Amino acid sequence: MRRVIHKLYWIWQLDKEEDWINEMARHGYSLEHAGRLSFEFEETEPDLYKYRTLFLKGSFGSRENTEYLRFLDEMGIKAVSHINYPGTCCVYTRGLSADHPDGLEIYSDIESRINVLKVSAGYMIFVDVFTLFGALINCMSAFNPYNSIFLLNLITGLGVTALFTASVVATVKLFMQISRLKKEREIHE
Amino acid sequence: MPQQALTEAVFYILLSLQKPLHGYGIIQIVGELSGGRVKLAPGTLYGALNSLVDKGWIDALPENPESRKKEYVITNSGRTVLEEELGRLTELVENGRRLLGGN
Repeated sequence: MRRVIHKLYWIWQLDKEEDWINEMARHGYSLEHAGRLSFEFEETEPDLYKYRTLFLKGSFGSRENTEYLRFLDEMGIKAVSHINYPGTCCVYTRGLSADHPDGLEIYSDIESRINVLKVSAGYMIFVDVFTLFGALINCMSAFNPYNSIFLLNLITGLGVTALFTASVVATVKLFMQISRLKKEREIHE
Repeated sequence: MPQQALTEAVFYILLSLQKPLHGYGIIQIVGELSGGRVKLAPGTLYGALNSLVDKGWIDALPENPESRKKEYVITNSGRTVLEEELGRLTELVENGRRLLGGN
């Protein structure tokens, strides 16, 4: 039986989203399709799969990503769904819990983890600039005395400012994670 | 310039490729060689294999149309690098044992 859940996760909430998808899988609902606002689950036996969301450079269909995902497929890790973003894509992968009892780990070395975080951080900078621009335009328009829709601009401006703040916090957290891993790399490989 | 130390993953990948293996086979052999201590994750293995092919330390063999799984094998220059790394590791172990008073 299929179950569709409408839920919004911002791009900087991929970890939370991944935890929720794994929690659903533990309860017997395995993700089959992810959209920007909806998730489609198939009823399966509980804890059949472990999920991992990958944030990859380039579009889902690019040659590099196709080869990479084919390699993961050979390892029993399937790409079940994806969402393309400008210059990047978010791929939802899964492996059997029997093969990955402690969770689906795609990277076991520090260098790869740093590279993955750099892709996310690069995209988050784009989101930061985009939301900052949106917040500034709306807030500045709201204070224009000749503006007849100043209230709409003000509300939108404040909303986008909140998004910008959340996005910047997420970006800073990513850079702190990168910095921690780089320090660890100085001691361990 | 002396050779840079290899990462543990690269060392074990080169060691496992004395005969042709595909990705899953490499993960299994590395796990066996290290007594289960080294668990290569697929994404890490993929990046390492591409880098090693680029350096010419391993070769990607033509795909078997039946299995569609790409196999890899160590090259002569990869074997030379592996032997140099063994020499470096031996030096580390000998110095460690000498100064710590081990055997």
